Amino acid sequence: MEDMIHVDRAMSTQQDIKISARKVQVYYGDTHAIKDVDVDIDDKTVTAFIGPSGCGKSTFLRCINRMNDTIDVARVEGDILIDNEDIYDAKVDPVQLRAKVGMVFQKPNPFPKSIYDNVAYGPKIHGLARNKAELDEIVERSLRKAALWDEAKDRLEAPGTGLSGGQQQRLCIARAIATAPEVLLMDEPCSALDPIATAQVEDLIDELRQSFSVVIVTHSMQQAARVSQKTAFFHLGNLVEYDATDKIFTNPQDPRTESYISGRIG
Amino acid sequence: MSNTLILLIILGLGIVGFFLGRTRAIAVADGDARKLHSLPSYYGAHVGLNAIVPAALALFLWLIVQPFVINNSVSGMISDRSIESGGSLSLVMSDVRRVAEGLDAAVAEGAMTQEMASDMRVEFTNVRERLADVGVALGSDVTSDTLRAAQRYREMAGTGNVLKTLATLAISIGGLAVSWRLVTPHFRARNVVENGILLVLIAAASIAILTTVGIVLSLIFNTYEFFRLYPITDFFFGLSWSPSFSGRGGSSELGIIPLLWGTLYISVIALLVAVPIGLFAAIYLSEYASKSVRAFAKPMLEVLAGIPTIVYGLFALLTVGPLLVSVFGDDGALGVDWMAGGTAVITAGLVMGIMLIPFVSSLSDDIINAVPQAMRDGSLGLGATHSETVRQVIIPAALPGIVGAVLLAASRAIGETMIVVLGAGAAARLSLNPFDAMTTVTAKIVSQLTGDSDFASPEALVAFALGISLFVVTLGLNIFALYIVRKYREQYE
Amino acid sequence: MTDATSSAPAAAPSPAQRASLLTESPRMKKRNAAETRFKMYGVLAISIGLAFLVFLAYSILRNGIPAFTQTVVNVEFTLTQEQFDDAESRMLKTAVYTDIFVENVTAQFQEQGLDVEFDGDTIERLLGKVGGDLRSFYRENPDQIGQAVALQLPAASRVERYLQGRLTRDMVVDGRFLEVADLDVVDVMVDAGIIGSAFDWNFITGTDTGVDNPGGAGIGASVIGSFFMMLVVLLLSLPIGVAASIYLEEFAPKNKFTDLIEVNISNLAAVPSIVFGILGLAVFIQFAHLPQSAPLVGGLVLTLMTLPTIVISTRASLKSVPPSIRDAALGVGASKMQAVFHHVLPLAMPGILTGTIIGLAQALGETAPLLLIGMVGYVAREYPDGLTSGLLDPNSAMPAQIYTWAARSDEAFFEKAWGGIIILLIFLLTMNIIAIILRRRFERRW
Repeated sequence: MEDMIHVDRAMSTQQDIKISARKVQVYYGDTHAIKDVDVDIDDKTVTAFIGPSGCGKSTFLRCINRMNDTIDVARVEGDILIDNEDIYDAKVDPVQLRAKVGMVFQKPNPFPKSIYDNVAYGPKIHGLARNKAELDEIVERSLRKAALWDEAKDRLEAPGTGLSGGQQQRLCIARAIATAPEVLLMDEPCSALDPIATAQVEDLIDELRQSFSVVIVTHSMQQAARVSQKTAFFHLGNLVEYDATDKIFTNPQDPRTESYISGRIG
Repeated sequence: MSNTLILLIILGLGIVGFFLGRTRAIAVADGDARKLHSLPSYYGAHVGLNAIVPAALALFLWLIVQPFVINNSVSGMISDRSIESGGSLSLVMSDVRRVAEGLDAAVAEGAMTQEMASDMRVEFTNVRERLADVGVALGSDVTSDTLRAAQRYREMAGTGNVLKTLATLAISIGGLAVSWRLVTPHFRARNVVENGILLVLIAAASIAILTTVGIVLSLIFNTYEFFRLYPITDFFFGLSWSPSFSGRGGSSELGIIPLLWGTLYISVIALLVAVPIGLFAAIYLSEYASKSVRAFAKPMLEVLAGIPTIVYGLFALLTVGPLLVSVFGDDGALGVDWMAGGTAVITAGLVMGIMLIPFVSSLSDDIINAVPQAMRDGSLGLGATHSETVRQVIIPAALPGIVGAVLLAASRAIGETMIVVLGAGAAARLSLNPFDAMTTVTAKIVSQLTGDSDFASPEALVAFALGISLFVVTLGLNIFALYIVRKYREQYE
Repeated sequence: MTDATSSAPAAAPSPAQRASLLTESPRMKKRNAAETRFKMYGVLAISIGLAFLVFLAYSILRNGIPAFTQTVVNVEFTLTQEQFDDAESRMLKTAVYTDIFVENVTAQFQEQGLDVEFDGDTIERLLGKVGGDLRSFYRENPDQIGQAVALQLPAASRVERYLQGRLTRDMVVDGRFLEVADLDVVDVMVDAGIIGSAFDWNFITGTDTGVDNPGGAGIGASVIGSFFMMLVVLLLSLPIGVAASIYLEEFAPKNKFTDLIEVNISNLAAVPSIVFGILGLAVFIQFAHLPQSAPLVGGLVLTLMTLPTIVISTRASLKSVPPSIRDAALGVGASKMQAVFHHVLPLAMPGILTGTIIGLAQALGETAPLLLIGMVGYVAREYPDGLTSGLLDPNSAMPAQIYTWAARSDEAFFEKAWGGIIILLIFLLTMNIIAIILRRRFERRW
């Protein structure tokens, strides 16, 4: 493990490190859900978290924008730095943090409002637009980025809940990127989608890499292989192995990773 | 024979039937219960039920039908002249019944013999005095028409009662005999008894329908009576409410508008108090409060809902009213002379608002909790603060349900009686000043039906017209509100 | 929002948040302030709600507790045999007793050096019909003649209010109930230390009085009236409600008729109570000629009102019995009816009883329908003597009695009304506590 992290650091100096976590522990009540996780996540990269169910990958993801704060029994220890600032510092407002670190959830969860209002919600609360024209522009840009503009441009006032599952998830992505985040966290964004919608969302993720650091939790190893540049394998709350995606899938260092990749655990 | 006694005899026959049936069942099976289709007690129950149920039903029907038959027959004897002098047929008939009851009482006390009661003539006897002696007070002297009708009434009732006794007992014994003969080893007593029980269950469930029918019929009949005596347009569009106190018609003005206005005004004030407080309390309890705060505050608020309305009424009349007067009244803390007396729209509205707080808060609490967690996560994940999430995502998502809750609360407010009877005042007026005393539909139902006016007068009957208006409005609001709430629930299921 | 964004807001998802996370942006400050404000509204709303509750409880206790105590005058009194014989031989016997009492008390005052003059009328205004009470006391207890007897005489309600400071001398107008000069006597009695207070059992066990005697009014008879009403409600609504629920929950097919019943039940639950009063008046009194003001009629009306509550809670507890129990019974060859009555119903019973108690508690406090069936106009002066009389003779009920007192013009009755509320609430509280205990004790988690 020690070695691995060394290698990792050497590699990442060439790129900007966006997020770095040190000795992160998460407890849900008495359960120790995340144990000693150290990880550095690069900017403008797609990083995939894989691992069997209950391994803590989603939990760790939710630490990065402090969504765990909303759960009463959850407790986070250790440091997570974004742009070298400790996000668990007492001075940090989780609300401000979440504007910087957007999130897309497992199940599409559009608000029961119009498509336009769904996307405009974030910019409005963060005050990103000075007038209606600017807001329109942000909405259009976000929908275009989420590859939803063509389908939605004629029905912006229709309720977001009326879209198909894949469209809803892209709407949620559009909604997340409308607030101009720097990091985008995606928690199994395709698990509720059919294969065609999944393909669309995956294409989208690849494009998003241009502007954001994307962290995606996924159940599907194929998906991790398709969309990510780096992959982290979690098992029983530990970060087992973290490396370039190619390397993880072709030449894993840890026997547990190998078992998982080859389908023996999980 | 009195109805209670008949009923007791029927019940006794039923018990006898049970044991007879049971014994016979064991006998036909030669003492071996295994040969029977059902357990012996089912045979017994079958016989017992057959002895009781048809006879009891017959008795019940007889009790309903007999007065109608007698009334119809007797009212034919009353001349048009008597109807004119008595006011209306129903008034004369109530006199007839009173005289008949008086004669019964007199005979029962031994003040008269049966023959005397039947043969008495107004020409020879002062009936009013004789009845007053046995404690039956009559409003006016008895006319010969009335007396003869009363005697006929007694006669028919007497015959009816004898027939009733004979008929019901015959049915009971017949039922017992027939079902006793049915006891054979192959008779499926259990199935028959169970079907009987099922019928009883259905009958119990149908009481809800009967109650509604009873409400609707009693309202409609009397309202119809009222509109024959008082023009319907004057009732619905009249701007003035001033019943005369004479009790027999006259110059009453019975317009519902001022009452509706009072009802509406008080309800609006109540909702202005209850909705913001209840809604914010619900939001705080479901979104912010820690477990211990919730465990304490929620039941405490709900205590407010468990307090009887008479307590709120007294609170309005004796505590809140005087308190408001000491602030807004003459010599009050504010030095304004807005409020003349403690009973006012604002008093009733305020107290009713307090009563409705838990109603609004617990309904809204349920509804807010039904909004999926994913909505909250979605909004928080975008960097919205908790209050932004509540205001811009949860409340809009829960709005239909909250509207439903508010409508239910409104229907409560409109139908509330005790608080307005005690706290709002008695004067019907169309005024905008919340410090004025006003009155409501419910308060006037009470005052019109508890006053001294004659039951057949428009002053009393108007209560039924008010009642039907109230019933229709609250029922409409409820159905609409429940519809909205159900639609809302379906959205998230 | 930083300067960067405001100068180039339309630029791509521009680094509005390049600013450090550790410093709170001015916009964030505003938003957080709004958050705090919003939260405060919630706290405020709850505090207002709880404050109302406290205020309500305070005014009930403050105004109601005096109804349970009574101001009394403690006097030691001796009647000699001669005085007794003398008094009994006179025409106006009670007046003589009163005079003897006046002499006796005056003598006691003089011993203590207190000087005041008063007559029998004064005593009657202050302490009621002392003479009559004394006479009946000695006629019943002739052995007490010649011995010192400690008498505890209840003071009139106006005296009570004067001592409490709620009635001042300048408010008193000489009249049949009280004269200003009487208050001097009261002051002397206070100086003599013979005025005290005692628990007023009469308030709990007594019956209502006419409008003249607020001090003697008690709630006992109407408690009995309420009891008989609740008896009717319990005996009718429990079996009918349970039968209806069993049908709807276990046997009813999905059809129009079942839907009709369901709709009716849920709507009846929301019909204003006054409408049930109209129903009671029209059907039970006008149509069926049942006696007015009778607890039986009140009970019938309240039964109809309580049924929906009981049906709803009974169905919930039937529903909570798992289907495996029914399957097990059916599996050994029991009929559906046997499965329900032998297995499901007993298991659901605690829940049903809890719901019934809560329904009864609601019915106990209900007032509006009672107004219409004549329970309010009636002054409950007597206890019923037996079951039939309890059900059929006119009586009042607790909430109706409270309303009657509140509607009387004499303010002295208001205290009784508040006191009545305390008793009513004690009953309600007890019933709810029993329901909670039942639920805790027998609640089954499947």
